[in-house]
Amino acid sequence: MDINAGGFKSTATYVASNELMSAVNVARMLEKPLLIKGEPGTGKTMLANAIAESLGMKLIIWNIKSTTKAQDGLYVYDTIQRLYDGQFGEEGVDDISRYIKLGKLGEAFSADEQVVLLIDEIDKADLEFPNDLLWELDQMEFYIHETRETIKAKHRPIVIITSNAEKELPDAFLRRCIFHYIAFPDKELMSEIVRTHFDKLDDNLLEEALKAFYEIRELRDVKKKPSTSELIDWIRALQLGGIPTEKICSELPFIGTVVKKDEDLDAVIHKRGM
Amino acid sequence: MFTDYFYFLKDHEMDISLSEWLTLMEALDKGLARSGITEFYYLSRMILCKSENEFDKYDMLFNEYFKGIHMEPEDVSDQMKRWLDKSDFAQSAEQEMLKKLIDGEVNRIEETKEEVLEKFRERQKDQESEHNGGNQWIGTMGNSSFGNLGGHMGGVRIGGTTGYQSAFQVIGERKFRDFRNDRVLDNRQFQVALRKLRQFSTRLDVPKTELDINGTIDKTCNNGGCLQIVFDRPRKNTVKLLLLMDSGGTMIPYSNLLNELFQSVNKSNHFKDVKTYYFHNCIYARLYNSPECEFGDWIETEWIFKNLDRDYKVIIVGDAAMAPEELYSETGNYRGPNDGLSGYEWLKLMKRNFKRVLWLNPKMAPGNAPWREAETAVKGLFKMNRLTVDGLKDGMKYLMQTK
Repeated sequence: MDINAGGFKSTATYVASNELMSAVNVARMLEKPLLIKGEPGTGKTMLANAIAESLGMKLIIWNIKSTTKAQDGLYVYDTIQRLYDGQFGEEGVDDISRYIKLGKLGEAFSADEQVVLLIDEIDKADLEFPNDLLWELDQMEFYIHETRETIKAKHRPIVIITSNAEKELPDAFLRRCIFHYIAFPDKELMSEIVRTHFDKLDDNLLEEALKAFYEIRELRDVKKKPSTSELIDWIRALQLGGIPTEKICSELPFIGTVVKKDEDLDAVIHKRGM
Repeated sequence: MFTDYFYFLKDHEMDISLSEWLTLMEALDKGLARSGITEFYYLSRMILCKSENEFDKYDMLFNEYFKGIHMEPEDVSDQMKRWLDKSDFAQSAEQEMLKKLIDGEVNRIEETKEEVLEKFRERQKDQESEHNGGNQWIGTMGNSSFGNLGGHMGGVRIGGTTGYQSAFQVIGERKFRDFRNDRVLDNRQFQVALRKLRQFSTRLDVPKTELDINGTIDKTCNNGGCLQIVFDRPRKNTVKLLLLMDSGGTMIPYSNLLNELFQSVNKSNHFKDVKTYYFHNCIYARLYNSPECEFGDWIETEWIFKNLDRDYKVIIVGDAAMAPEELYSETGNYRGPNDGLSGYEWLKLMKRNFKRVLWLNPKMAPGNAPWREAETAVKGLFKMNRLTVDGLKDGMKYLMQTK
């Protein structure tokens, strides 16, 4: 049986490797969250978009910041609004449920059809953050104390979690996930990815640009390795600038779109003896 | 169920919990890896390994446990080699082996391998007799030789899809070797010590997100009891750290310790900024970007003085084991230019340009050891502590004091 049959597939703008496709489909079938790690710019966040598009589902994105609390994703009780309303004698102040606002997780649970929930950059939050969500992600339900109501998922959402590995995630959390590491695409896959972003692209230009790009990535001194999005910007710049292809590798025109830190730029220039 | 594999992995220090194993079993029950060893490899890896650091270890163990599934059929006729489509045969053989293994019908790969080989011989016999009749079975065969099969039973496309790399091919490449970190060093203590480097300020340019209770009460009272909320900026750490590490030859025995310190600093993301450079024995006109101290891969030490303000807390890690001429001679540096100053003068510049400098020494002599002249001289310039958890803790206190 091919587990990828009828499941998630590459879309017009997102090229997924077979490994990644089966990871998504396994996670779907086992109803477990899929944890995605990988270098910046390997398309971790784009993946959720592609899944939603490919399966025809709605995408709900929960962006995690350093100040995000687990509770924010469930619901927020807007006490301040209630206090304001109380002061001015607004109607319906007695009704607490008017002041309960569902967070992204709550939104995903209460959706009428299955959705894709992306918890983006979970490692940005506090160390304990993932642990606070264990029950909710396992059981797909939570309890609102103020209204004594339980919000239970009508359809288990497909949960995609991305991490940049800024912090180690707790073991208890990891045990519940399916894990996939997106390796940086090789030249072949990369050219396929780049092509999805352009209607028309000269083969020679692409090849030369890729050659220079991977050369730069391999320099050890370059601290911030350029990623896919930078390559695409660069190729666009090269195309618009009408640069002759033979000059790409030797002169690296518009290299500022690829290498963005001064020290990295110096390193590139130095190593290439320019 | 083949619990053997579970214990095999556990015995080899893979940190796998029962719940993860059960998840794998559930996945197998749902038939998510029926089409072969490659799919099983990816499936088990995505469920059992939760970090790319473990991939290499897992690959090695997987290879060791399942390598019996590679086959080297020794009794294949030449004719057969030409006829037999390896993908067709290999796929069914491999599926069968895996199925038996998973269903617990057999425990060892050798048993299944025997069976499969037996079947293969039979098939070969049939083939020979039917060959002249132009059997359709042969007609479907590709022209790849069966002999190739040996190396890659896993090298088979699965379910007609392309793009998968065979499990054993992936393992052979050992793509994840660089990620491996099995020196399990508990650098938590170092991290805890580094936490002491904190200096909070509300002056940073961040959004006002914290409720200012006093301000709110004031404003609300002024407002005649009508609620008026006041927010303030959260307090943030403003400590900036400059880490300079000696990577000279005498430091090699301490490379683990240094690694630990370096990782702790990197994991402590509470600093406003961290800069790390390397030097060889003593600081001269250049600081290197990488521990290899490669010629040319450097920045000017002057650059640091010009660009990093005096508030940077400086931690220098080194054994200060220099020959006197390395410290005092104006040309005593064989790795790069001195710019007319001796190492000692450069160190003095360090001291002058930063408010607080701490030297951490992994092999510090107690007191002033007269036989270690350079160390004594450096001690005269900087506060020097042993590179231990206690030394680090004490050093952090020193760094946080203001003059």
